[in-house]
Amino acid sequence: MLDLSRIWAGPYCTKLLADMGAQVIKVESLRVYDSHRGPVSPARGIASYPDSDGGEQPWNRNGWFNCLHMSKHGITLELTDVLGCELFEELVSISDVLIENFRFGSLARLGYTYEDLRKLRPDIIYVSMPGFGNSGPWRDYLAYGIGQEQLSGMAHMTGYEDDGPMKSGINHGDPITGSHAAGIILAGLRHRRRTGKGMFIDVSQLESTVALLGSYLLGYQMTGRDYERRGNRSDLYAPHNVYPCLEDDSWVSIAVTGNNEWHALCRVMERVDVSEDTRYGTLQGRKDYEDDLDDIISAWTCHRKAADVAYRLQDVGVPSTPVLSAPGLLTDLHLKDRGTFVRVEHPWAGTHTYPGIAWKMSDTPGVVRWPAPGLGQDNRTVYGGLLGLTPERIEALENKGVIGTIPTDSRII
Amino acid sequence: MPGFLEGVRVVDLTHYISGPYCTRLMATMGADVIKVERPGTGDPARQIGPFPPAREDNPEASATFMYLNCSKKSITLNLKAEQGREVLLRLVDSADILVENFAPRVLPSLGLSYEVLSARNPGLVMTSISNFGQSGPYRDWKAVELNLYGLGGLMNITGEPDRPPLREGAPLAQLGAGQNAFVASMTALYHAENTGMGQWTDISIAEYTTNILENALMQYSYSGREFERAGNRGYGRAAWGIYPCKDGYVGVIAGPDHRWPAVAEIMEREELADERFRTRLGRLSNADEVDALMLPWLLDHDKADIFRMGQERGLGFAYVATLQDIQEMDQLNARDYYLDLDHPVGGAYKYPGPPARPSEETWEFRRAPLLGEHNRDVMGDLGFSDADISDLAEAGIL
Repeated sequence: MLDLSRIWAGPYCTKLLADMGAQVIKVESLRVYDSHRGPVSPARGIASYPDSDGGEQPWNRNGWFNCLHMSKHGITLELTDVLGCELFEELVSISDVLIENFRFGSLARLGYTYEDLRKLRPDIIYVSMPGFGNSGPWRDYLAYGIGQEQLSGMAHMTGYEDDGPMKSGINHGDPITGSHAAGIILAGLRHRRRTGKGMFIDVSQLESTVALLGSYLLGYQMTGRDYERRGNRSDLYAPHNVYPCLEDDSWVSIAVTGNNEWHALCRVMERVDVSEDTRYGTLQGRKDYEDDLDDIISAWTCHRKAADVAYRLQDVGVPSTPVLSAPGLLTDLHLKDRGTFVRVEHPWAGTHTYPGIAWKMSDTPGVVRWPAPGLGQDNRTVYGGLLGLTPERIEALENKGVIGTIPTDSRII
Repeated sequence: MPGFLEGVRVVDLTHYISGPYCTRLMATMGADVIKVERPGTGDPARQIGPFPPAREDNPEASATFMYLNCSKKSITLNLKAEQGREVLLRLVDSADILVENFAPRVLPSLGLSYEVLSARNPGLVMTSISNFGQSGPYRDWKAVELNLYGLGGLMNITGEPDRPPLREGAPLAQLGAGQNAFVASMTALYHAENTGMGQWTDISIAEYTTNILENALMQYSYSGREFERAGNRGYGRAAWGIYPCKDGYVGVIAGPDHRWPAVAEIMEREELADERFRTRLGRLSNADEVDALMLPWLLDHDKADIFRMGQERGLGFAYVATLQDIQEMDQLNARDYYLDLDHPVGGAYKYPGPPARPSEETWEFRRAPLLGEHNRDVMGDLGFSDADISDLAEAGIL
């Protein structure tokens, strides 16, 4: 896979495929590298660097970049240079898939439409994923993950009761689009095996995200009622919330999905009086008195540790989990037992913990093969080994600044 | 059937949200997906709604079910009965993929573990989605979306710093895990078609949320500093979030520093061009002042206009689209995104279209099936006679 994508949506797609063993060649420019590498000269104290220190080559030390590019090769290439284009064309000719999430038309303006790419590789699968797709009145518009969350409806549906919409802690639209693209690429490869035909895949990140929320759009058409934000509460269950626990800013989630669970919760809280109160005996009753019940539960949880509450409730079959922050995740017994996170040593950043392979497969489980590449780290391997360029030619390209490992500009998109 | 998954037969033992989204992707790309439902009540998503006014609580008219089960066939089968399991095993014999999202103890307790199924059909790709995964101390814990989102670390970084952590309104943990289950299934299918060997994939919804937690986890892992809830001022930025405007909420997304002067220009406030606000850190340390300068103009303008004005000056502005806004969105309609499907009980609606558009034809969207609508077709294909089928129906198996 020839991967010209940047930031998160495209890189998440190729991460899933690299985890499964695909040979992903990530292509960056020395003038405009992947923004997730951060600025060339970052301010001190930015926490995504080891010990909040960018160090001498900060672009190789940013955790946000390094977690998304494990097991990929990293090369540099200037598509605005004739020699760079020659290298790019050779790489296209040996690639099954080309993926980019530039703004609409960027690659075409450099001389590479799908038709051009087909001449280099007739059965190429070319995935183009600008924010709003490759057509329509918004095709030239600029899309950030935070904006997609708003335009797709996710932000409208998220927020405290009787309050405004709220952004989520991450930009969900990126992994949503990345995962859709990964699955469709694999299905497209199957089609190619059967028919010999490659294809152009136009991915609108907006459409990809709205596709997830169709139930709500159908519901709106049925009822004429738009979605009302209700914090952590649910239409289906009550109580259904997070509750404060003993330690500072610690919380436990509890969802009571039936009457038996309700009485079990009351038993654990040693509140026979509440359990026997017939007003709370039905879902409707518990919804009517939800504020009161949340107060009763909070009064019990606030003296206890979140994990202790969750364990005691799960023992009697009540859905409950601690609300974990990063340190809690890294010490959680279950996630440890499953090997959810992996320790990886990185030549510039040291040894750190990363999310591991996203699922477990019995026969071809996938493995982190190597850490994220530094900028241009694999130039020699890819250009020498894969394309067969002589060391002299590679050196000449380096001297001309067509390829390299030190950025020449700090432009961040 | 056309489509990239032409000729792929899927036995679909999924229900609710996560698994059905996975098999929806398969079905709409041309796989023959046979959804196996419990006789009588079927997939519990049939009870969730929302429902059209004249069809309250009609299990055929639940929006959640109707959307998540497009292009599938439905049969009913009582898996607690020996004869029901025998029918299932016959389906498995000719299947390429089986997807299920029962609690991990359920299928083994019915004698339908991966070992049993793969012994029948060594080429079977089996994908299991569960809340916490097929192993580990929480394997049998119970959970709804709230609990999974909470455990996975995403909830703790969503919401205001002085208020409780906040969940997403939409079930993004379940849907995202369903998406990844599709990717895993396609990987396993690729391997199976190459080697003849199937395998078992274990997907945990809680684990999915940790897999997309790039910021908080990496920041803590690299520097030991926790990523805090920051409301609409996340990612260490100001003028990078949701603001009220005249007719709703809008996304002021300032972009890189060199574009900041355009914001001052649009909002006709020279003060915003002040030296102190020129850099990202400058804006962040004066965030309240920046907001106060922007608000009067924002409250005087409509979201669609603010969005357009920003975009026309190269700024990645957005707006908080309501469900109505999404239906009316120019960009989606200009690309003919929505498709019309008519359901005999639920009614005719506009459905969001495909998540991507390959130049080779693949998508085929058909309405969701009625409960057991394909019992006769599917059972007939397996070689059961009409009399067998009637007997099984009478015995409550079908």
